[in-house]
Amino acid sequence: MAKKKEVTRRQFLNYSLTGVGGFMAAGMLMPMVRFAIDPLLKEGAKQDFVPVMDTSEITNKPVRKEFKIDQVDGWYESEVTQSAWVYKDEKDEIVALSPVCKHLGCTVDWASNAAYPDQFYCPCHGGRYTKDGVNVKGTPPLAPLDVYNKKVEDGKLYLGKPEPR
Amino acid sequence: MKWTEADIALFEKEKEYVDTAVLPLVPISMTNNMKTTVSMGEYISIISSELERQLKGRLLLLPAFTYLSSEEQATTKDRLKKVEEELMLGGIQHIITLTADVNWKQVEDQVSSALLWMPAIPLEHMDEQYKMETVSAQVKQVLQFVTNTWQSNINS
Repeated sequence: MAKKKEVTRRQFLNYSLTGVGGFMAAGMLMPMVRFAIDPLLKEGAKQDFVPVMDTSEITNKPVRKEFKIDQVDGWYESEVTQSAWVYKDEKDEIVALSPVCKHLGCTVDWASNAAYPDQFYCPCHGGRYTKDGVNVKGTPPLAPLDVYNKKVEDGKLYLGKPEPR
Repeated sequence: MKWTEADIALFEKEKEYVDTAVLPLVPISMTNNMKTTVSMGEYISIISSELERQLKGRLLLLPAFTYLSSEEQATTKDRLKKVEEELMLGGIQHIITLTADVNWKQVEDQVSSALLWMPAIPLEHMDEQYKMETVSAQVKQVLQFVTNTWQSNINS
């Protein structure tokens, strides 16, 4: 009976060989796997939120706010100015729209054209958007304005990245 | 649009929508009033890149037209005219030249581009917030100038 419990030499060698072999294989595979999924892990370090204005300043009339973000483009690091149209909608919720026209990227202006006092107007090719940022049919842009990711902390509005709808 | 590969690809695709070129006129001098010369160029570069950001879809920002401060006015003007001709051949209808160098005012009527002269504001001692406000106020007026150029063309 004692004989049954004993580990034979063959078994011992088998175990230790699988153990060492497995260890070596893991040592080789781990970095490969890590490399392969690296882009997925990096995504977490996206653009931070930037404080833009006090929430108490926000009214239901869109105002343009400029803010700076750090942009790394290859080896070239720079500060880039971004703008947002900020206002409160009928439900008293804060809306932050990107002013970049979806046609060719001009900056749209609120109520700058006397003929359309309640719309965003693009000075380049006459594109128009309603107050909620939806493009007016029959004008050049084909998509609504991007909306900023936003959060409110300590009475300040923070803006992140503009996202298409 | 900027003078970069990515933007030029877009330009070639959407050529019919881009009819305006912005050309900053930047003087160079190492021996005479170097600092003033540099500040003119820097100011104009800031204004023109901000202008490009606002009106990206209809204008093409070219690399600056540079000239020596000591260069003969007539020669510089002739060189500028060559650049203008080339741009016109490329399908550009409005050329807007921006400069802080007052000498250009004297030859304004001899070039076909819309020349806009503005005095350089020294930005170096301003704090960031104030600098941004100053530049955006100035750019707003330049925008007005550009959109007026477009308007007058529609009416004529």
